[in-house]
Amino acid sequence: MSGTSLDLIRNIGITAHIDAGKTTTTERILYYTGVSHRIGEVHDGNTTTDYMDQERERGITITSAAVTCEWKGHRINIIDTPGHIDFNIEVNRSLRVLDGAIFIIEGVAGVQPQSETNWRLADRYNVPRIIFINKLDRTGADFFRAFNTLKEKLDIVALPLQLPIGIEDGFVGVVDLIEMKAIIWEGGELGAKYHDEEIPADLLAQAKEYRQNLLDNALAVDDAAMEEYFDKGDVSVETLKRCIKIGTISGAFRPVLCGTAFKNKGVQPLLDAVLDFLPSPVDVPGIAVAAEEGEEESETEERRRIKADPSAPFAGLAFKIINDKYGTLTFVRVYSGTLKSGDTVLNTTKGHKERIGRMFQMHADKRAEIKEVHAGDIAAFVGLKDTGTGDTLAAAEDPVVLERMAFPVPVIDISVEPKTKEGVEKMTLGLQKLAGEDPSLRLRTDQETGQTILSGMGELHLEIIIDRLKREYGVDANIGAPQVAYRETISKPHTETYTHKKQSGGSGQYAEVKVEFEPLERNEGIVFENKVVGGAVPREYIPAVEKGIRVQADTGVLAGFPTVDFKYTLVDGKYHDVDSSALAFEIAAKACFREGMKKAGPIILEPIMDVEVTTPQDHVGDVVGDLNRRRGMIQNQESSGSTVIVRAHVPLKEMFGYISQLRSMTKGRASFTMQFHHYDPVPRNIADEIMARSA
Amino acid sequence: MRLRWARSREANPSQPAREWLGCDDAGNPIARVIHLDGPISTDRGVVRAVPLDREAKLVRLLPRPQAGGDWLAVIGGRVVGRAGAPLAAVRRAEAALAG
Repeated sequence: MSGTSLDLIRNIGITAHIDAGKTTTTERILYYTGVSHRIGEVHDGNTTTDYMDQERERGITITSAAVTCEWKGHRINIIDTPGHIDFNIEVNRSLRVLDGAIFIIEGVAGVQPQSETNWRLADRYNVPRIIFINKLDRTGADFFRAFNTLKEKLDIVALPLQLPIGIEDGFVGVVDLIEMKAIIWEGGELGAKYHDEEIPADLLAQAKEYRQNLLDNALAVDDAAMEEYFDKGDVSVETLKRCIKIGTISGAFRPVLCGTAFKNKGVQPLLDAVLDFLPSPVDVPGIAVAAEEGEEESETEERRRIKADPSAPFAGLAFKIINDKYGTLTFVRVYSGTLKSGDTVLNTTKGHKERIGRMFQMHADKRAEIKEVHAGDIAAFVGLKDTGTGDTLAAAEDPVVLERMAFPVPVIDISVEPKTKEGVEKMTLGLQKLAGEDPSLRLRTDQETGQTILSGMGELHLEIIIDRLKREYGVDANIGAPQVAYRETISKPHTETYTHKKQSGGSGQYAEVKVEFEPLERNEGIVFENKVVGGAVPREYIPAVEKGIRVQADTGVLAGFPTVDFKYTLVDGKYHDVDSSALAFEIAAKACFREGMKKAGPIILEPIMDVEVTTPQDHVGDVVGDLNRRRGMIQNQESSGSTVIVRAHVPLKEMFGYISQLRSMTKGRASFTMQFHHYDPVPRNIADEIMARSA
Repeated sequence: MRLRWARSREANPSQPAREWLGCDDAGNPIARVIHLDGPISTDRGVVRAVPLDREAKLVRLLPRPQAGGDWLAVIGGRVVGRAGAPLAAVRRAEAALAG
């Protein structure tokens, strides 16, 4: 993409709970780095990274956007991610391909649920991160209270590198604990002007205490730095920064900075921290290649890693697909090698060749054509025919498959049908393209009603998809009411034998299968095992048995919901030399599933949501009582100033329309967030209702 | 009282030292700060191991300490303080010596 040396590149994400200031911070970064010549605002609908119509109208980020800027001789590729849980797939795929992240924490509320969820995702992908406590100008902001929630909710060693000078309206700057100086913003020129001065006398003792804490934790990662400290009684700024970088990359501690992006204070030191403490592509261990079949998770550390090396064979991961009027754009993180327009690579996940057409460096929705990409780059390719999110592209001489991405489980279904006959084809095409972009969106046809069913992460997610269907594909559609995405499973083992026999003249059909069904733990999916011996079922018919049951599992025996978390083992069977066929075995397997499931203690599972309600103290009783009526299990309650945060696990079924009820109960003073937590069996009376409805 | 601190000879060169020795001006070791390794699962539950001699031939098993207490400041075999980081433990040891 350019001649930038790898150690001068940072690939980072900005992530947080909804409305914590991610896009606002990104906007300042683009301004201070000279990419933009004005600062856009979320509430004005004119930010760079919220470029979709829906984002600008609603004031929220829906899709992650990539931008590039230069700061002090370094190139920073930034991905701004959404905060709403319905669009968590965007955070997931971004963290998967980034080398570092800025976690923005709100200075009033501290760590909020989506921050926790994203933090755990970053843990999963071992992403080094720095924390920015934002909105310190807000009424009720408290740096130290927000800081304490880092320890309480994330269980981390959080290490302040700065302290605030003033708070709320009086917030004017920060104490830099590394260089022991004050940085004061002067108010004009949108925060571009600031200067250093002495630490205010009333903060000096506190600053010394926090600096000692910084030295204690940072120097512990490097013996040479400890020795420098013992020799001189202090360490140089360079030594301290080196130690902070080591600790940030290893996760020994998490550096904390602060400011208010909206009031243009604190962003430039945050950019400095990105250069000083977050890794370049060569500072990280490299991406692991995917596990071989049957390999244990514990062997992950032993797996080969692809290091960032422009002269090595090419390897990259497709992490995002966008369809627009110019065609399909495939976003790729390049892990090693160099690739030019017109080159051919292997899609090693699917096993076919792909020719690279044009390549672009993306700046939100704008693009600049480039002729080649190198290890460490993030770019968008045009011309790939069949490459999906999570697929690996690699050079033929080293056809590695990189670790795939894990996608969240959709929890809400809606039925959708076009208003006109002419719309059928357009709708199918549009939905297929949208599902191709968004792995958290699933599309299926209800076998009984023939309706198209969309499954997504929440009401907002599906609302946006339907809106995009209309705007981008011109399809007006009738939408059914949102339905809970129930699942079915079994509660006890059972062995079923089924014989499919049809002989009515001509060639007949004959197949017999004996299948053991047994329940698995939640989220283990569907597992098939073949234990047939002695050719009781010929080898060529085994895949038909496996397929028959997998296909039939989409329609559960109780209420037609997909059946999950069970193992089926083909243990025996019979065949006929003339009348047996793959089709006969598939039919037998489907029938065996239908009969066997009924006797294996089938149950219906419902999604349980992790709900967090923030309410004023005087409405806690109403909120808790209401959650109990909704079959909620209260997990805990904690006070934060005059508000109380109530956490509960509540079935999704009971949460439709909750926001209206909550507003009316609390005169609009409470708010809530929720995200999927787990699947649980539904109570008997509710199961009866669901079955009656499906009948 | 300021001591001269040095990495313990037992330190694994590929990792930060798990033990530091504090010597007086004559080079005599009079204090140590030691990292509590573990936790270790035993039939009595999860515990931390405190070495009682330089080679850790004798080990005392203690209940898991509070977070931030992984480093012990030790003078003459007696624990005089605990801290979450070696530098803080060094200050505890020096403060104890200063009386």
